[in-house]
Amino acid sequence: MEFNKRRSLIALAIAGLVGLSGAASAQSKLACKPGETYVMNVMVSAHPYWVPVFQGFKQAAEALGCKAVFSGTPDYDIAKQIASFEQDLVKKPAGVLLHPMQADPFINPINAAIDSGIAVTTFAADSPKSKRTAYVTSDNLAEAKFAAEEIVKKVGDSSQYAVLENPGQSNHDLRVTALIAYMDKNYPKMKLVGRQATNQDSNAAYQAVTTMLQANPKLAALWIPEAGSAEGAVAAVKEAGKKIIIIHADVTPATLSEIKAGNIHMALNPNQGVQGFLGFMNTFLAAHQDLIDPFNDYKVSRFNPMQFPSMDNGFAVITKDNADSFDLAKYMKGRS
Amino acid sequence: MSIQVTSPVSRAFKARETGLIVIIATIFVVMSFASEYFMTAENLLSMVKSFSVEAIVVIGMTILLISGGIDLSVGSVTALAMVIAGSLFLAGLDPWLSSLIAIMACSGIGAVMGLMVTGIGLHHFIVSLGVMVIARGLCMLGTGGRPLGLFTLPLEFKWIGTGSIGPIPVVIVIFVVFVLVFDFLLRQTTAFRKVVYTGSNQKAAAYSGVRTQKVIFLTTMLTSTLCGIAGVIYMARFGSAQPTFGIGMELNVIAAAVIGGASLSGGSGTILGAILGSLLLAVVSSSLTLLNVSVYWQDIIRGSILLTAVTFDHLLMKRRG
Repeated sequence: MEFNKRRSLIALAIAGLVGLSGAASAQSKLACKPGETYVMNVMVSAHPYWVPVFQGFKQAAEALGCKAVFSGTPDYDIAKQIASFEQDLVKKPAGVLLHPMQADPFINPINAAIDSGIAVTTFAADSPKSKRTAYVTSDNLAEAKFAAEEIVKKVGDSSQYAVLENPGQSNHDLRVTALIAYMDKNYPKMKLVGRQATNQDSNAAYQAVTTMLQANPKLAALWIPEAGSAEGAVAAVKEAGKKIIIIHADVTPATLSEIKAGNIHMALNPNQGVQGFLGFMNTFLAAHQDLIDPFNDYKVSRFNPMQFPSMDNGFAVITKDNADSFDLAKYMKGRS
Repeated sequence: MSIQVTSPVSRAFKARETGLIVIIATIFVVMSFASEYFMTAENLLSMVKSFSVEAIVVIGMTILLISGGIDLSVGSVTALAMVIAGSLFLAGLDPWLSSLIAIMACSGIGAVMGLMVTGIGLHHFIVSLGVMVIARGLCMLGTGGRPLGLFTLPLEFKWIGTGSIGPIPVVIVIFVVFVLVFDFLLRQTTAFRKVVYTGSNQKAAAYSGVRTQKVIFLTTMLTSTLCGIAGVIYMARFGSAQPTFGIGMELNVIAAAVIGGASLSGGSGTILGAILGSLLLAVVSSSLTLLNVSVYWQDIIRGSILLTAVTFDHLLMKRRG
């Protein structure tokens, strides 16, 4: 099931039109020069979330004859991610699609990269005060609203719910705060009985939910802004033998199995492949800013005209019925 | 009875630093052929910059290891310094004064740890483990778990983290000054030689008149103070204070010190060696990135280097009896 489809299509259409208009005026520029390289830089690089994103990135790169490199740090460590980003810049890529672990620490590194002629765009998390030219993400507010409505549909509008959170990561924060605000405004009888920071750690989530269930026997629903914590939460719910509606964002192979088994109600998953594809296109366009001559002041004000301040890649709703289509192992068969 | 006289040249060949320099030089030669980007000024500066602030903590850890102690709280205390200084700045205090207070708070934490080790007789390992958890908790409490945005820090303060003197980043200049000063102190001053005596044989040192408890107290406090200084520089560099900063830093820092020749049982180690240990890890990491080797290999190789260094150290100790 697709949501925000219209906005995603608009974004795609913009990317396509920009490409086509460039094709009409300067076709040779729509492809990479030999060796032209684009890097996708992330933190916690072992996370399965990046795999389909990089596939989208790589497929777009291959279509334009460019080279795609996956990079970053395996750790959840800002200093290490910045070091890996700066190391990427040494190789003089044409552009970097970046998932900045935190916004402000990346302002200077991103600006330095852009000043040195390397295009930088962001995805899934942003550094809005930097000079990055584009940001691709799913609409976290729409996800939160969808989750809230689904919870109310399943447990009624006067039940207890709880949230797990990962403070500090902007998209995760937004998913949590938006859902709480939406509930408060539209369903004031819905009672928030637990709010625990589990920071994507399945063990911390297991412990938190175990305690929540002890303290709130009438707990009916859980909203979790990422998949790592959902793995621990579902284990705690199963052990307690409770029937709790669990909805989480993103998906991992483990949570997918739990969705198939009916232990997790659903996952709201950003369209990762589209995110990677749009991320690449944005970065490519920023690196090829002379493809178009738009009607604005970019020449005198000296900014990159390929600006896409916020692009929505949409999200998919994963349930027991369509879970097979989100099997990463199946998807990756025959791909590298 | 025979007396073994060793020349400076023979001593140099036996020193751990020489071995590290040879390994690093070999990697440099190989990498200069393997990647056109390796020997560029940009890459060399980026490499040194990547560990230069952490190296300040490495200096403290090395001195503490030499004295026979260890500190697992360095990452949390560094983060706490960022959080304290950042919170005070956001509350309206001058950033320099905020930083000074944060560094003093870290010294206070070191003093408490030192007192628990020397006064109560607890082991450094368990005391610092407890402080690691408490300091992290304080970071979370002080920030609500969210990073403090400090983009409004004045430029002259940010300069210590992001500025340059000519082509050289200020963080590298600070790092070099710290290395030179502490290397000199450890090699040339009586006060710091007492650290080595204490770590080699605490009882013997005490019989020789060294106030070993005071030495342990001061080295513990010094390590936390250096964490405070590093935290403030990190804050200036990133323009934010992150409660989750430095998780796992203790492992990097201890690894660098041990690779550089600091013994976990105390009594040996040098600042130069520890910095070479940090440099080796950074060079390996940079080389693998430039060669587009999977990021996961970096941890495997880093761990292997550490195990090799510890094994080498152990065999050397056994041979020396």
